[in-house]
Amino acid sequence: MRTRFVTVTMAAVLAAGLALVVTTATAQTPGYRAPRTKDGKPNLNGIWQALNTANWDIEAHPAGPSPVRDLGAAGAVPAGLGIVEGGTLPYRPEALAKKKENAANRLKLDPEIKCYLPGVPRGMYQPFPVQIIQSPKHIMIVHEYAGAVRTVYMDNHVEAPADSWMGWSNGHWEGETLVIDTTGFNDLSWFDRAGNFHSDGMHVIERITARSPETLTYEATIEDPKVFTRPWKISMPLYRHVEANAQILEFRCVEFVEDLMYGHLRKQPSK
Amino acid sequence: MKHRCLVPIGVLAIPIAIAWLGVPVAGQAPSTAAATKAAPAKASTAKSTATKAYTPPRTPDGQPDIQGFWTNSTYTPLERPNNVTKEFYTPDELEVAIKQAADRETAQTEPGTTADVHYDFTQFGLDRSQSTFAKNLRTSLITNPENGKLPPVTPEGQKRAAERAAARKTQGGQYDAVENMPIGSRCIIMAGAGPPMMNAGYNSNYQIVQGPGYVMILTEMIHDVRVIPVDGRPQPHSNVRQWVGTSRGRWDGNTLIVETTNFNGKNAFRGASENMKVIERFTRVADDVITYQFTVEDDATWARPWTAEMPMQKTEGPIFEFACHESNYGIANILAGARADEKRAAEEAAKKGAK
Amino acid sequence: MRTKLAVVMTAGGLLLAAGPVRAHHAFAAEFDVNKPIKLQGTLTKWEMVNPHSWFHIDVKGPDGKVNSWLVEGGSPNQLIRMGVTKNTVLAGTELTIEAYQSKDGNNKAVGRNFVLADGKRLFLGGSAPGGGGDSNSPAK
Repeated sequence: MRTRFVTVTMAAVLAAGLALVVTTATAQTPGYRAPRTKDGKPNLNGIWQALNTANWDIEAHPAGPSPVRDLGAAGAVPAGLGIVEGGTLPYRPEALAKKKENAANRLKLDPEIKCYLPGVPRGMYQPFPVQIIQSPKHIMIVHEYAGAVRTVYMDNHVEAPADSWMGWSNGHWEGETLVIDTTGFNDLSWFDRAGNFHSDGMHVIERITARSPETLTYEATIEDPKVFTRPWKISMPLYRHVEANAQILEFRCVEFVEDLMYGHLRKQPSK
Repeated sequence: MKHRCLVPIGVLAIPIAIAWLGVPVAGQAPSTAAATKAAPAKASTAKSTATKAYTPPRTPDGQPDIQGFWTNSTYTPLERPNNVTKEFYTPDELEVAIKQAADRETAQTEPGTTADVHYDFTQFGLDRSQSTFAKNLRTSLITNPENGKLPPVTPEGQKRAAERAAARKTQGGQYDAVENMPIGSRCIIMAGAGPPMMNAGYNSNYQIVQGPGYVMILTEMIHDVRVIPVDGRPQPHSNVRQWVGTSRGRWDGNTLIVETTNFNGKNAFRGASENMKVIERFTRVADDVITYQFTVEDDATWARPWTAEMPMQKTEGPIFEFACHESNYGIANILAGARADEKRAAEEAAKKGAK
Repeated sequence: MRTKLAVVMTAGGLLLAAGPVRAHHAFAAEFDVNKPIKLQGTLTKWEMVNPHSWFHIDVKGPDGKVNSWLVEGGSPNQLIRMGVTKNTVLAGTELTIEAYQSKDGNNKAVGRNFVLADGKRLFLGGSAPGGGGDSNSPAK
């Protein structure tokens, strides 16, 4: 299997100047064995980012106009082959109606617009870097977007004490794969900007496996019988930020949305 | 995470004291509950030199291990109170101070007063005596200058403070608009999140996780993450400005030294400028204690650098997601309430005017 | 027993240990000190969220009509460390809440005091399951 390495400057998608290694090979290099951390586990440490348009719409979709006219092409929706296996989500009929309602009102309803936490798996394919920090007892997943963070407990597994946006994650290793079992979600996050949603009964099982020195395979199975007729799966690569001194920066977006959310409650100047 | 025995506060406060000091107080026997919560912290945390050299365990990649859940909860003020001249309280004096503070926190509020318009902290375990406490014999967190006070503010610093005060006045009332409210209420960042990392009134907890080349510190209050590289890389360009600045760490023996610059100046610690530089030192001096020391350099604000020190005591997790902004109904409620008050006042004034 | 805090209160009720004392100013901006109320009802849900948790209560009025109330409480984070979970306070729990009503007159209040049917105050005095045992939680 020959692979062609192309260095692409993704100025349109990312901040200017990031360099990523993109491989056109789609299959995992057979039997790739990641280097080990000092405690003998596959080393998944690094700063990673997805290179797809799932955050706009996880299903296969064509390009489309911006919901905000004045943003023109800068706010338009790029096309996507979809990261959902089978292409579309298996909604229950009443849930599909709700998804359509979400989509029609997405400017008001998309939690991302209000700088709310992204939930799982959306945080893994937003156009922002994600850092994995691996220690024996805890693996941290730190998102640049809104400073979101997940603790993956690698031992002392307990049930979620309460519901949260990013869920409660219990992890374990299966050979080369980090398996993360997450429950305890609230029903407030979306999967994307297209209105795809879940209930508080969602159960996500992620499987992260190194596929080459600079890429991971990220898979997630989503089970949510209140919303979907069967479990469904997503699969996508995650690409390593290989530029020197790559780091997660601040995207503390609350400030950016306050006028949007509270501007109508501002004291008006006396007439 | 096992169920805790929730006992009345008065019983807890004293056993915590005993467990820390190893000094029996008449009539009280140490309970295992308290001993687990506040395991003995060495007296060395209150002084700058360790009485016995402690070698911390190592992470798999060889860093001194400072991982776990830690709290810097304290009653010790940053600056020494005006009526105190010495550097350390005696253990007895500290116990009295702690008991008085605990009593204040659990004292009755008068119904019908503003102070009563709040949920009872003790019912939610949020008063300090119901959680681990990082005891400290110091009379101030500031260790240098030796008088325990901040150094004099430079003329430039005074000018900036006056300008900020004037700007605040033109902004209007605190509830005129969301941006007039404190940054903590807006769920942007806790004012004391730093660096330097100051104690919060409650949930003053941190989760430290180390991976190869990095130390991550998760601050519980308003759920703030610092990812500190320890690989010797340079700071970014000065155009990159952050609320928490950008941090660069390195290990010096068993001490993690973290230098932070590139602040955006919007969370001005004690009136600091955006050019403030904070140097933190984390040293694990016992199994359950990290000495956290920080030096603030900002010659645009203070005539000289100043240093403070506070212990971090091992505590239990977890740190549950503090999704502050997501459920911050208070902002809308407060602003709506203020607008409603104004409307009522205007209507009443109009009625009076019409008579 | 009520609580008073001699530490700083920010507008949203978050505490800082240093700085001037502001007596719970922001809660008094949201809720009316002149509207103390006593709500007796059934819990339908305890939203364990930050910065403040919320108790959803169904209160039966004298006319027999049921009104839903939303009552603000504290951060659940320390309670979670003490072993409290979403299964600790179940829907159906009878609660009497001494509270102050929201200024805008809605069915919203801040709960001063949360009392269970047996007279015990919520989360204190052994009302958590397993309360009374040795609290020897392992540090993670």
